[in-house]
Order: sequence, then structure tokens, then C-alpha cells
Amino acid sequence: MKKGTVFIGLALAGSLALTGCTGGSGGSGGSASGGLSGEPATGGTLRVLQNADFSHLDPAQGFDGGVNNFYRLIYRTLTTQGAGEGAEGTEIVPDLATELGTPNEDNTVWTYTLKDDVFFEDGTPITSKDVKFGVERSLDPSISIGSPYAKIVLDIPEGYEGYYLSGPLDSIETPDDRTIVFHLNQPYADFDAVVGQAPFTPFPADADVTTTSIDQQPIASGPYRVTEYQRGSTLVLERNEHWDPETDEVRTAAPDSFEWTFGLDAATIDERMIAGQGEDANAIAGSVAPASIARIQTPEIQSRTVAGLQGCTTYMGLNTTKPGMDNVLVRQAINVAMDKEAVKDATGGSQLADIATTIMPPTVVGREEFDLYGTEDQTGDPEKAKELLAEAGYPDGFEFTLDIRNQPKMQAQAEAVQQSLAKAGITVNFNLIDTSTYYEVIGTLSQQHDAAITGWCPDWPTGATFLPPLFEGSQIFEKGNSNIAQLNDPAINERMAEIRLMTDVDEANAAWGALDEQIMELAPQVPLLYEKTVMVVGDNIAGAFSHAGFSGGIDYVSVGLKSAE
Amino acid sequence: MTTVPSELAVETEAKGALPSGGAPTPARRVLHSLRTSPGAIASIVIIVAIALMAILAPVLSAITGWDPYEFDPTAIDSDLGGLPIGPLGGVSAEHWFGVEPGNGRDIFIRVAYGAQVSLLIAVSATLVTTTIGVVLGMIAGYFGGIADQVISRVMDFLMAFPTLIFMIALLSALPAGNRPALLVIVLSIFGWPYTARIIRGQTMSLRNSEFVEAARASGAKPLRIAFREVLPNLRGTIIVLATLAVPGYIGTEAGLSFLGVGVTPPTPSWGQMISTAVGWYAVDPMYFLIPGTFLFLTVFAFTVLGDHLRKALDTGDAA
Amino acid sequence: MLFYLLRRVLAGILVLFLISLFTFAIFFWLSPDPAVQICGKTCTPERIDQIRSQLGLDLPFLQQYWQFVSGIFVGRTYGEGAGAITCAAPCLGFSFQTNQSVTDMIADRMPVSVTVAVGAAVLWLLAGVGGGLLSAVKQGTGWDRTVMFGALAGISLPNYFVALLLQYVLVVQLQWLPFPHAASFTEDPVAWFQAYLMPWLVLAFGYAAMYSRIVRTNVIDTLGQNFMRTARAKGLDQSLVMRRHALRPSLTPVVTLFGMDFAGLLGGALITETVFGLNGVGKLAADSITKNDQPVIMGVTLLAGLLVVIGNMVVDVAYTGLDPRVRVRSA
Repeated sequence: MKKGTVFIGLALAGSLALTGCTGGSGGSGGSASGGLSGEPATGGTLRVLQNADFSHLDPAQGFDGGVNNFYRLIYRTLTTQGAGEGAEGTEIVPDLATELGTPNEDNTVWTYTLKDDVFFEDGTPITSKDVKFGVERSLDPSISIGSPYAKIVLDIPEGYEGYYLSGPLDSIETPDDRTIVFHLNQPYADFDAVVGQAPFTPFPADADVTTTSIDQQPIASGPYRVTEYQRGSTLVLERNEHWDPETDEVRTAAPDSFEWTFGLDAATIDERMIAGQGEDANAIAGSVAPASIARIQTPEIQSRTVAGLQGCTTYMGLNTTKPGMDNVLVRQAINVAMDKEAVKDATGGSQLADIATTIMPPTVVGREEFDLYGTEDQTGDPEKAKELLAEAGYPDGFEFTLDIRNQPKMQAQAEAVQQSLAKAGITVNFNLIDTSTYYEVIGTLSQQHDAAITGWCPDWPTGATFLPPLFEGSQIFEKGNSNIAQLNDPAINERMAEIRLMTDVDEANAAWGALDEQIMELAPQVPLLYEKTVMVVGDNIAGAFSHAGFSGGIDYVSVGLKSAE
Repeated sequence: MTTVPSELAVETEAKGALPSGGAPTPARRVLHSLRTSPGAIASIVIIVAIALMAILAPVLSAITGWDPYEFDPTAIDSDLGGLPIGPLGGVSAEHWFGVEPGNGRDIFIRVAYGAQVSLLIAVSATLVTTTIGVVLGMIAGYFGGIADQVISRVMDFLMAFPTLIFMIALLSALPAGNRPALLVIVLSIFGWPYTARIIRGQTMSLRNSEFVEAARASGAKPLRIAFREVLPNLRGTIIVLATLAVPGYIGTEAGLSFLGVGVTPPTPSWGQMISTAVGWYAVDPMYFLIPGTFLFLTVFAFTVLGDHLRKALDTGDAA
Repeated sequence: MLFYLLRRVLAGILVLFLISLFTFAIFFWLSPDPAVQICGKTCTPERIDQIRSQLGLDLPFLQQYWQFVSGIFVGRTYGEGAGAITCAAPCLGFSFQTNQSVTDMIADRMPVSVTVAVGAAVLWLLAGVGGGLLSAVKQGTGWDRTVMFGALAGISLPNYFVALLLQYVLVVQLQWLPFPHAASFTEDPVAWFQAYLMPWLVLAFGYAAMYSRIVRTNVIDTLGQNFMRTARAKGLDQSLVMRRHALRPSLTPVVTLFGMDFAGLLGGALITETVFGLNGVGKLAADSITKNDQPVIMGVTLLAGLLVVIGNMVVDVAYTGLDPRVRVRSA
């Protein structure tokens, strides 16, 4: 049924997007695709230069591309994403489990078998009970701020508050130490992706594991264990001797250790990576700033540059409940007026972003390419927008308030939006929101304004984790709302329910792709960009590539050193 | 940037006092002394030029054909991260000072509008702090007693404050609202004691001078003495203090905008431009050099002028 | 003398108390709910309530303030049971965004800030006093004019602008220095020196300019005073006169100033640390302000206040020792 074949066509879509952008840059050939060839040598210390520390070491709590990428070094789950560029990386493959899950007829009961010879860092074998405990622990209200899918699809009784407050969960059965059975509250064809989410990480069911202990001292099931951690400054991983490479087809885990340095300025990181001197030859880092793009065009630096799509869409959500914005013609006018080139340039130009025309990015399986509101050169069509506005009853222009985050890149994007819409007689006022509360404010119905610039990354690259959170009527919440368009369209809602019942994943993925266009006809958002990562790595780095499942970051479990000293 | 005009306070304190009381210095002599100093003339020229640039910003915008928010995609190279095309950050006949990377906005016009914001905030803050400082300083110095105790304690307290950190904290906690007004208020709260302290000291010495004694003996009311007799004698001090306060506030405002708690975008501001330019310093140095040079010239000119005024008033006294 | 000291200490404590109350009040009333911020993107109402009670955010203002103050002296515990977090005295608060006690965070960053501050202070004292003396002795000459013009320019140049200029010239154009990045003194002293050189220069620049102006004025004043004329009239050697009689009274105000400025460096170094990406307390404050991590902002503000108050006291005491004319100065 699913078995990985679902991701055919992704590589093609990816390369299309990369080469399809207008102009095509001189000298960017090396960075436009993929990674550095060459097998990493075993051993050595790989360094990572990073601005901010990881959000949480506890997999129940951390929930972003960067930390998920990191979790794979120290944790294992029943399934995981592949290790490879493009489609290979976003394919769901078995990890602790011998193979992908076996569902019952209607996809409501899923059974997995654990591999033999898998151990925690202290040598204790990992059993199905540990996986069960890990999930139960993650449901404790004090830490359940990570990936929400366990909460959403498992059959959990009303008022269940995790292992410590409510005890074991009946809907996860462990008939023996190798077998685990999950009972769901709905048919869920994508469940193999769910058990690969971080909260499904096993922890010893009998040890001194508390709600807070893992965040301080993780218990490794993956190839490395945390040996030193100073929050905000350094993190050191060393080999977990009890991890057996024979049991792991995903992780290369070539270096003997990893060393993170946190708290470095973005500019400092760029400078160091460009210079690549001394120990920085063994270092990798995140995407460079726009200002550094011009400096990495030399052949030497291009030869150690890795690039890829983040796998996310940056968009401007339009709040369909606000006066004026509730008119589809107005929303279409805004789409037509948008100068996406300007937004792209403000974000860092063609090397750091492609122009978006669809809600879902090219990395999503089943996504269809279309452009309902395309204009010449993507620079917007003020005249056509004015016509649409006049038709909508706003012949003298329109005015709205845009929520923006107090952060340079977002401000630059907002200024580009403001400028391009001004040409069509649309006045954009800014509501500047503090970085730390931005998502909270735009996710609170009573506080959000007419529009907001934000982004969405799928938790795994299918429409199931992209369209419903953003556009399903039942997903409008007073707080923590992701449907910031507040779209509640009966036809769309109905179609989503239908797709969810499909047991054939391919069919479902294609249906989501078609639904994308159906939603865009209502113009509840303006897709702006598919942002890219461009990363410079050290001279001695091998096996580095941008992983589409981890916001385009370098896949940690595959990267290593060319020569391990 | 250091905080409010600490340099000013410190220097005047170290010197004992500014132009000490006594007979008012004839304005003519001061003007003459300024006119003969090339430094003073140069600084006045710079100040006038920058003030004109600020006032005439809309006219300049009409002449160059660029408004401060207008993008110019043809001036930047999208494939190089949005770097300005051409030498010196895109300097051309069209863009006299080049353009901003990433959007191609005209730097010349943004600097001109930035001057508006800078001067407006600094001059307003100077007016507010000078007024409060003079009034409270005179009350404390002339009446002494409880009034002096209270005002002096408040001043000590405000001056013992970790000002910069606190201003940033305060501005970041305040809702966005009207930023320039908020900036003026915050700058004023921490700025007035520096004026008040000096005014207080001079009022105290003037209180015991012969002409004040004489006025008192003739039965004049205290308030009348304070404003009719004492205030005119403080004129020189006030002018010097105000002149030296302006650059302090310009610098602090730019510093706060640099740190991201000042004027909000897209309003152009020098500090904010330099802050954005930080990332670009290696590939597009003109982006920080131009607003930085304007900021420097403005602060420099006001400081030089203040210095000269003080000297002129000083020698006036000595003569 | 003892009474005087006691009075100074009491006044200092009062100032600190007011600073803390002020800062606390501002965040209490003006700032968005910290519980909401801590909770993050996938928040639940239960979690918000939990954080609120854990942090004591559900209590009235004075009670919260009291908890904060008592935490400084006796430490405090957030929450109860297995998930409780203890914060040992002196507890300046607990940052739930980073899961660290504010005291620890500041202590971690302190060495960098001290390095920046001490290095810069040495530089600016040398340059400021040296430049001022030179200017005063060579009054009216080209030396004097050059130093004074430089000083005027120095006090007018914002330090972030100087930082960018230096970086552009020394790192990009001349390539005399590598891009600064933190290195440990014991492991690699050369890299350490290179990393701190520019921050020292930048931070010292403005202060040096200011000090040279003040020193010059003071020395010229002193030289013009009666006792100096007498000393010279007695036929004492010029340089001896300078050393014995002119330096001491001229530099006394500099000591006052230096104490205050050094104590205020936590705030003064904020921009320098931020521009050069040095992880000191100033950058901690700037970062926490961006993230709106209130406990940390509170802690740093209070610490900065404490340093200023202590600086004031030390200066007063030192002043009485240095200048025989001032034995007791009113507070």
C-alpha cells in the first residue's frame, strides 16, 4: 500500500523548483543542488556552530526541524525518515521496528515488531514497554508541548494526563517485549509517519525517569550519548557503545563525537565558515545570511557549499473573518498585486528563496504545480488588482493591518509587501509584535489582525500535515490556532474528511495536491516563498547534504569527516 | 554609545561649574567669539545643512524621484543575495549615495528622512529636559529645604540607575504605539537630572549674590526673584547645556534604534540603518559608512558648537 | 567616618530597593504574560495555568515582589513535588525560556564581561590620562590640537560605528586580524588577544576621548593655581613639579569618574558585546530583551544597579583618602 513508493516524483519536483526560478544565477551551479560527495571516514570530532541552543533535549518537548535532526543522533523511534537527498530523505523507513507497521483493515490498529540487539546507553535492551512508556510519559501536560500527533490519533480516554498522573494507557498494548500494538481513534493511513515523531522515543520504563529528567540528562537509544551539556554554550556527544550499526540502516554515524558551540552570532558563524581555518575545517553550520551570499561565490567556497529547500512555505495569511478580507475578490486582489520578486529579494534573493505559487512546497508528495494569480515576472499586477478591488466595492483602495514579527528578515519581507501593495492602492499598516510572543498573538483569535506573515513546514511531507492545520474549519481554536485565515468553508472541510478516509496513501496524496488549488481559488493566503538553506561547511567535511525533512539542514546522521586525523 | 549626556555632566562637574553666574554676558561678544572661530563656523554650517536636509527631505525626494520607502529592484542583484549593483554600494547618477541591499531603497533619501526623525526626537527631548531641569533645579537651588531634599534624592536615584539597560528594558516592554513620543519620554525621564543638577548648583551661588540680596531687600516675592533675577543669569548655562544635550540624545536615540528598541520600521532612522548594515559591512561598507558619517557629523558639530559656546561665555565672564 | 559610611550603605540599599521595585513594576504591568511566552507554540491552557502557579504569577504584585526579593537572600523553590526547581540563594530568578537560574546565567557570562571591561579600562586610562597630560603640557601646540580634535571626534563617534569601521579596515581590508571569536586564554593566548583586541579598542575609544579632555582641563587649572606658582618660583624642577604637585590634584576627579564609569560598564559594554558577538552579560541582557526573557532582564538590571551603587560608594571612600581637602562629603 504505502511502503515508501509514495515518494516517487519528489526528486523531480525538487530539481524543477531549484532550476525553475527566474534568471538562474551565474556561478551558483555548485550550490544549487545537493550535497558533497564522498563517504565520511570513521572517527574524529565533528563540530557544529550554532546560534541558539536546541529548544529541548526531551523529545516530548522539542518540535522543530533543527532539534528533530539532532534527536536522530541520540534517539531512535519505531520508524524514521530516510537519510538521503530529496525523496530518499523524506521517505518513512523502519528504525527500531523490523519493518513498517501492519495495520488492520480500516487503519485503526497498527502493529510493530522491534528489532533484536537494540539497547539504551547503559546496555539495557530496548523493549516494546519502553516505547509505550515513552509515549505515555510524553502525554504529561507539563511536557506535552512537542509533536501533537500522539494526542491527536491515539485512542486516549477523556482526561488522560500522562503516565505520572493517570498511569498506563490501555490503547497501547505490549503482548511481548518485541511487539507493540497501537489503537487509534480514527483511521489513519499515515500512522507510520506518526510513530517516527519524537514523542515516540523509548525510555527505560523502570529507571528514574521523571518529567524533567530527560531534558537535563537524556537517555540515549541512538548512536551517541550526551556527555557534556552546558545550556546555551556547549553540547558534546560521544559514541553510545551499545548502539549496534548492524541494527541501523539509516544512520552512518561516522564521527566518534560531535561538539556543538552555541551562542555564536550569525555573522560570526558566517565569517568562520567562510574562512574555514583550523578546527573550523571540521565544522558545519546553518544557512548563511543574505549578506554572505556574494562572498561565497568563489570556486573554493562553492566546492564546500550545500544547498536545498527548507521544505516550508512562507506565506501571508489573510484573516477571512475581518471586514473586507471576508470578500474573496479583495483577497484575490491582494494575491494579484503582490510583487513576489521584491519579497524574494528582501529575503536574500534567488539563492535563498524561490517564489511560491502554491500553498504546499515542492517537497510535499502529491503537490501540483499551478499559479492562479501569476503575473508577469511575478512582480504583481496593480492594474488588475485595482479592477478586482473595484469589483469588490473598493474603488478607492483598501487598507489593512499586517501582524509582523520584530525581526529583521520578517520586517524586510513586510516592507516589500507594503511597497508592492501600495502600487495597487492597498495600504498596509504594521502591527509590530515582539519575537517571543509573535506566534502566540497571531494564533489567538481575539488578538490577530487582518493578515500575518508566517510559514508552515509539514511534520512529514504529505498534504495531511499541511492543509488541515491551516484551512480546516474544525481546527480553528481560540488560542494556539494555526488556521490563521480562519477559513471554514463547507466544501473544503468536506473534502478533507473524504481524503482522510482514503486508505490508499498515493490516492490521498494526489487528492491533497488537487485540494491545494481548490483552496487557493478562495485565496485565504498569499503564498510568498519557498525558502532555501545555503550552508558552507568545512574543508574536511564529507557526506553533507541538505535534508528536506529537517528544514533543509545538514543531515546529522550522515555527515562526517573526510579524514579523521 | 554611552547613555544620556554623562560626559556633559561629568565635565561640568569636574570643572566645578559652567560659566559661573555674575553679570549676563553680552550676546554680542559671544557671537563675535563664535564668528572668529573656524571650528564654530564649520559646526554651525554642518548643523544648518543637516537641519535643512531634514526639513527639505520631501523636496529632495521630489528632486531625486525616490521616496524613502520605494524599492528599486533594478539596482540590486537578486542572485547575490540582493547586493547593490555597481561600485560603492550602487552609487550612480540615479542613487547619489547608493541603495540598500535587499530592496534597492535610495540611501540618500532615507538618510534625509532619518535626519528628520533624529533631530525631532533629540530636540524635543532637549526642550523637555531643559524645561524640567531648569524649573526643578531652580526650585531646589533657590528654596532649599524639603524641596531641595526631595528633588536631589530623585536626581541621585535616577542618576544611579543603569540607564541604558533600563531604557532598553522599558522600551521593549512598552507597546509599539507612537515610538518617537515614547523615546522622547524615556530619554527625558533619565536626562533631566543632568541639567537640574548644574542649574541647582548655580542657583545656590546666585541666591547669595548682591543683586539677589538687593531684590530681596526691596521686598520682591521669591518667585519673582527666581524668574526675574536668577533665571536671566542662567541663560548662558542653559544654552550651553541644551547645545551639549542635543548630541547626547541623538547618539542615544541612534543607539536604541541600533539595538532594535527605537523607531520602528519602515520609518527610516540612522541607528536602524547602521544596525541593518552590520551584516553587510564586508561586502557593502557604504551602507554603514553613510548613515554612520551623518550621525557622527551631527553629533560632532553640536559638541564642537557647545564647546565653543562654553568657552565664549567663560572668557566673557573672565573679562 | 564610620557613621558616614553607614549612611552611604543605607542610601545605596534604598536605591537598589527602588530600582528593583521599579523594574519589577514595569514588567508586571506593561509586559505580555510571561507564562504564555514560556509555553510556546503548542501550548495548552492547562500548561499556562501550571506555569503561572509554578512561577507564582497568579499572586498579587507585592507578594510576587516579596518572593523575588526573598529569593535573593534565602533562595526559592518553583513549584512543588517531583517537578520542583530549586534556585539557591542568591537567586535572581529563574529563566523558564532557557531552564536556568538567572544567577548561573550571569555567572557564566561574567568572565567575558570582566575581560572586556578590564582590558578596555586599562586602555582608556592609559590613553586618556596620557593624552590629557600631553595636551596640557604642550598646551597650544600642534600636539594639543591634534589630541583635542581626536578627543572631540572620539566622543562624537558612536561605538557601534567605530566597531564596524575597525572591523572593515583591520579584518576585511588589511587582514591584520582574523574575525574575532571567543578563544580561551589558556588554550590559545594569541587567538584570545586577537579576539578581545577590537572590543577593547572600541569600548576604550569613547572613554579615552572623554578622559583626555577632562585631564587636560584639570592639569591646566592646577598648573595655574597659586601653590603651583610657588613651587615653581622656589626653583623646583619642572617635571618634579608636575609629578609631585600637579598630577595628584588633577587626577583625583579622574578617580571618581573612573569608579563610576567602570561600575557602569555592564550597560556600557552592551553594544560592544553585541556587535562583536561576545557572550558577556551585556549581550545576555540584549538577547533577553529580544526574547523578552523577563527574569533575566530583571536580574541584569538589578546587578547593574548594584554595581553602580557600589561604584559610587567606593569612589566616595577613595576620594576622602586621595584628596586631603575633602574629608567628608555630603551624600
